[in-house]
Amino acid sequence: MLRWLVRRLLLAIPVVWGVVTISFFLMHLAPGDPARTALGDKADAASVAALRHQWGLDRSLPMQYLSYLGQLLHGNLGQSLYYHTSITSLMAQRLPVTLILIVLSAVFAVLISIPLASRTVTKPNGLAAQVVRLFNAVIQGSPTFFIGSMLILFLGVRIAIFPAGGYPDGFGHRLWALMLPALTIALSIVPLLVRGLRAAMIESYSSEYVSFARSKGLGEGKIRRRYVLRNASISGVSILGIQVGALASGALVVEQVFAIPGMGSMLMTGILNRDYALVQACTLVFGLIVVVVYLLTDLVYARLDPRARLS
Amino acid sequence: MIRRRTLTSAFVIAAAASLAACSSGSGGSGASDAKLQSGGNLVMARADEPTSLLPSVPTDNAAIWIIEEIYSTLTVPAQNGSGVRPSLATSWKQSADKLSWTFDLRKDAKFADGRPVTSADVKFSIEQVQKKSSPFAFIDSIITAMDTPDAHTIVFHTAKPWAPFPADMALFANSIVPDNYGGKSAQAFAQHPVGSGPFKFDSWTKGSSLKIVKNPDYWAKGTPKLDSVTFTVVPDSNTRATQLSSGQIQINEYPSNSSIQAVSKTPGLKFTSFPSSEVDYLGMNTSRKPLNDVNVRKAIRLAIDKEAILKSVYYNRATLAGGYLSPTTWAHDASIKPTAFDLAAAKAALAKSSVPNGFTTTITISSGDQDASAEAQLIQADLAKIGITLKIKSLDPASQYSTKGAGNYDMAFGLYTTDIVDPDEIARFAGTFSGGVHTVYTWFNNAQMNRLADSASSASDQAARKKDYDQMQQIINDNVPYIPLFYVPGNYSYSSKVHGFAPGATGNYFLEDVWLSK
Repeated sequence: MLRWLVRRLLLAIPVVWGVVTISFFLMHLAPGDPARTALGDKADAASVAALRHQWGLDRSLPMQYLSYLGQLLHGNLGQSLYYHTSITSLMAQRLPVTLILIVLSAVFAVLISIPLASRTVTKPNGLAAQVVRLFNAVIQGSPTFFIGSMLILFLGVRIAIFPAGGYPDGFGHRLWALMLPALTIALSIVPLLVRGLRAAMIESYSSEYVSFARSKGLGEGKIRRRYVLRNASISGVSILGIQVGALASGALVVEQVFAIPGMGSMLMTGILNRDYALVQACTLVFGLIVVVVYLLTDLVYARLDPRARLS
Repeated sequence: MIRRRTLTSAFVIAAAASLAACSSGSGGSGASDAKLQSGGNLVMARADEPTSLLPSVPTDNAAIWIIEEIYSTLTVPAQNGSGVRPSLATSWKQSADKLSWTFDLRKDAKFADGRPVTSADVKFSIEQVQKKSSPFAFIDSIITAMDTPDAHTIVFHTAKPWAPFPADMALFANSIVPDNYGGKSAQAFAQHPVGSGPFKFDSWTKGSSLKIVKNPDYWAKGTPKLDSVTFTVVPDSNTRATQLSSGQIQINEYPSNSSIQAVSKTPGLKFTSFPSSEVDYLGMNTSRKPLNDVNVRKAIRLAIDKEAILKSVYYNRATLAGGYLSPTTWAHDASIKPTAFDLAAAKAALAKSSVPNGFTTTITISSGDQDASAEAQLIQADLAKIGITLKIKSLDPASQYSTKGAGNYDMAFGLYTTDIVDPDEIARFAGTFSGGVHTVYTWFNNAQMNRLADSASSASDQAARKKDYDQMQQIINDNVPYIPLFYVPGNYSYSSKVHGFAPGATGNYFLEDVWLSK
């Protein structure tokens, strides 16, 4: 187990290096000049040149890359050109918001998907199952910003239980303000999760251990909880793990719609203003989140399924 | 000034706005007879977070509009853009040789930390803007030296006679900060800025909101009326619209054009267009064939149905443009009328050109800018009628900046606004090759434009200056390096409880005069 963990962590190093390198060169290859963007079009060429020099953008690309790598190895994410402050301090403010949002949306996704999937399996032709199918099709066909806007409209304005976007002060208020955005992100992966769980549950139901449990005289509820759902959750966990990327990119859009000051809105600002270091830092952190979640997924998978060996 | 990008579909906006209209039945109409009240917290939602509160650094409106509330400048623009009023300076005069300006400072002005505002603070502040890496270095580069004969007098020496000087001193970048940032580093000062404006900096939750509170020691007694103002960052225009109707915010800084109708119909909400110096134009790269031919450019100008664009893209919230200087400046030449849409004349102009049978060209637009996309498609259809095939290429805004900067494009939309109330800045920026970005990226180079701009800025008599500016507008009108399309006002939707809100032509909010009714 420990050897497995060490090996996985070592393997993560080239992955992270790849993320850093690709994001660095992609950002710098894109046309656009952060100095010109920051100074606006009225500033003269001398001002632009002076700012480029101040930011070290007049050095060659390989030089900039090496100094960036060196900086990263010292744990320094650099300075944001747009926000005029250290990226580490920005991360300290923004990252927790996005992490809470991702975790909340994963929880919501699970809480919504399990009952929906169970319904469609136990009564595949019932009204509820039809409704679930329709719901899945509609949700999957709707872009996240649309779902977000609709939720704001109905639960934020018409029945004003939630704030119509924004991020107030105080932990309780903030958690409350994150409910609708988390629900919006969760909904975007619910159809996939429902379908995956459903398939796994159908497979479980037709297995011999379920027939055996039935022949022992166990109740349907118990069979579902103890045998079917437990086995189906193995595939549920791996779908959820893979979808964490989708959750993170969902956060990107949803944070804009709900005015949540997380990583997503910061990344958008960074890209639009060619804030190289900021975009690279955000990509790196999102990359790390995915790496860690994959690792956790494998650990949970092994815990749920004794046949899977961590080797 | 940066134009907003509309990221979401018009359908969602329409649906959101109409539902919002049904749900908010509270609030009265304009309440123009309401009694003046003090106190209250005003919440304004905007699309972006300010970049920096150090006056010499930013170019974004989100920062500029806050800087104008927490700092003072020597002069301030009049609301209608006609000139400047006294602020930190009570009076000013140009020397007999016209090579220096002397400003007398008021003696009762204090920084929020209690220190009096002195000429040393003014000198230090201007020096920060003169640094090469400051975006507005080009404005203050006219100053060759500053003398501080006493604590309340400052003398600016200029490189040449400079009439726009009092207006330059009203620029937000020339806001007065404490000498040497009160002993702090620039970065530390920017986190807790100290100014002598009507409001004091209170707190900043990065990415979310920034709060300023009433400065009780502000020299203009009786103002501000409000206890505090909170600027919240709400990137999505639909969300801002719904927050306004749910009462979460009182002013929406950038209402989308399509949401305006619903707002005007909702009780308790108002929509107003305030005069702004914004001019939206269609730029043509005159260094490229066949756009280097003035007949081609004239044909394009005649073939565009501006009225149709005004109606379907701007929802009639703008006016057709003629001369390149906006009507908010006294230098505007009203005799230059918008070119009438005339296909026959357009064809005739093209027949005289190097490409009588038409040609193919490209317009570059910002990706995600739905207004620009709609506008480009209308122009595409117009130009097709005279044999010009227009291709539409979309680029993200930062890429578009560099493409235009490198002259690597045919046609593109653009807009300009002035930062100072004197016409000098914008007349040069949008009229001269050396005044910024090659005559707003058109590469139009006319030596007479520089001569006229210099003559106008050195003369003191406004009537004489106006003649020079009229001539500059005529040259642009005759040579058509770009087509001024619309004069665009500043649009705001807000709660009827907000009174006295009247942003100036240069964008200043003058929040010290704003008050809230219960």
